[in-house]
Amino acid sequence: MSFLKRVKEYVGDAFRAAKYIGQGMGVVFDHMGRRPVTVQYPFEKLIPSERFRGRIHFEFDKCIACEICVRVCPIDLPVVDWAYNPELKKKELYSYSIDFGVCIFCANCVEFCPTNCLSVTEDYELATYDRHDLNYHQVAMGRLPSKVTEDPMVTPLREFAYLPKGVIDPHDLPAGSQRAGKRPEEILAEMRAAKAAKEKEAKAAVE
Amino acid sequence: MPMPMIETRTDRMLLNFGPHHPSMHGVLRLLVTLDGENIVDCEPVIGYLHRGMEKIAENRTVVQYLPYVSRWDYGAGMFNEAITVNAVEKLAGISVPKRASYLRVIMLELTRITNHLLWFGPFLADLGAQTPFLYAMREREWILDLFEAVTGMRLINNNYFRVGGVAVDLPYGWTEKCLDFCEYFLPKVDEYERLVTDNPIFRRRLEGVGAISKQDAINWGLSGPMLRACGVNWDLRKVDHYECYDDFDWEVAVYPEGDCLARYRVRMKEMRESCKIVQQAVKALPGGPFENLEAKRMLEGPKSEWNKGDYQFISKKPSANFKIPKGEAYVRVESAKGELGIYIVGDDNVCPWRWKIRPPGFVNLQVLPQLIRGMKVADMIAILGSIDIIMGEVDR
Repeated sequence: MSFLKRVKEYVGDAFRAAKYIGQGMGVVFDHMGRRPVTVQYPFEKLIPSERFRGRIHFEFDKCIACEICVRVCPIDLPVVDWAYNPELKKKELYSYSIDFGVCIFCANCVEFCPTNCLSVTEDYELATYDRHDLNYHQVAMGRLPSKVTEDPMVTPLREFAYLPKGVIDPHDLPAGSQRAGKRPEEILAEMRAAKAAKEKEAKAAVE
Repeated sequence: MPMPMIETRTDRMLLNFGPHHPSMHGVLRLLVTLDGENIVDCEPVIGYLHRGMEKIAENRTVVQYLPYVSRWDYGAGMFNEAITVNAVEKLAGISVPKRASYLRVIMLELTRITNHLLWFGPFLADLGAQTPFLYAMREREWILDLFEAVTGMRLINNNYFRVGGVAVDLPYGWTEKCLDFCEYFLPKVDEYERLVTDNPIFRRRLEGVGAISKQDAINWGLSGPMLRACGVNWDLRKVDHYECYDDFDWEVAVYPEGDCLARYRVRMKEMRESCKIVQQAVKALPGGPFENLEAKRMLEGPKSEWNKGDYQFISKKPSANFKIPKGEAYVRVESAKGELGIYIVGDDNVCPWRWKIRPPGFVNLQVLPQLIRGMKVADMIAILGSIDIIMGEVDR
């Protein structure tokens, strides 16, 4: 009897194993009908979000050499070279540089800059052959970033947060499709229209 | 009559695992004494990723220190930011607007999901199943994209939390995509479960392996999924009532078995529950999506009630020279790995006098030698994986 029981258990186990492995393989084979989610860098690139913190841009003429960027930087990285000019009674900025080999792109400097002379760009491909080339002075920092969307070699793809509502695949979006959500102006127009309609109704009810 | 066997006695072997071994989850080193394939003893060696995070805090202002903190537990960076600002807020008695609190909860719960996904993939890879890793990374990508849209960075260095609120409000259309994510993500968790939960190989490798009793778990000071997998209903989100977790309807994931499978079940359930919290928080966000809030402010002008305190994302922007008042405090949050605490001592200075971090991974890792004594080498990897450690927070 115990032998028969063992055979029964063994067969039961085997069936259960086959069932659940089959179920798992079902998930795997289901992927044959799905499109790859990979982005074929460098032929395709994701468009960095507007808040993406890449290489920092600097505008020399706006800087007042207050050094708040140095104060809020975790490692006091920006090098601000200035001297007090007694004739103008102002600080005169000679040079400004940030070493992007050391910068961690936290953008505290950008957040606290009182004159907005610092800003973040979408540049993230900063690779160089020599690490000293990453020490950008004010001229290098003043160059405009290159845009993924303007590169003829690259197919730009949108990130998940910038796809239309209900869409998860950035490939083959219909032309002119917009990101999810309305713009505040549109909502404002709707709210005004609703308000006007309501007032009209109330007026009609009074009459 | 005993079965005749060839006697194969060997000397004990001292095996050095790591620090550079793919299944050591970073730079953990284990000195394992083996008797054949049985583990006699194990001595973890840590400190390879020690960067002096506590000492660094002692000569940084809060603003300067914030970018550092997401490097403690780099699998779930925003919990570290949350506890950093909470410590200072508690000491200085700063309150957070309701909207900011909701934004924090949304971010923290999304972070919890990324952490559990980042645990799920490598854990199954440890057990020999490579495919789920890719699935987990695929879903994690959506959350990272959502993070990038809000904070400007994907995994770590989010630098999003601020003393008194968060750095910036949500971008236009973000809430809709966040709800989209939740809608797509829940079926994916079902898919993972179909793929692995009942798989016989997976079951045999985890059931009853690395079991720890309820009392032991409490005595060792375990927290998070490690503790809840032992049947202890202890979740700081319910216990401490911090942020606005009381506003939402969700359950604490508790399983009584205490083995690796229970830890797996806790984390899978937590992903679903976190998803539920995110959905509720996005729908109940005070002031609604940012674009609606903007429109209402434009309609009603500067005196609008939508400009009032509770609809702001931050109460008052902290100054670069924010002074931490004199006093001491211990604050804690339920991070994805357990109780993440900070013991802060202020000295009426811009820098804290002492900044003690109580990382959950460090405390949970202590129990490892006890769990793997007497097990096989292959089980050691499974048990280590089930603890969910990130060496960045173990070593700090």
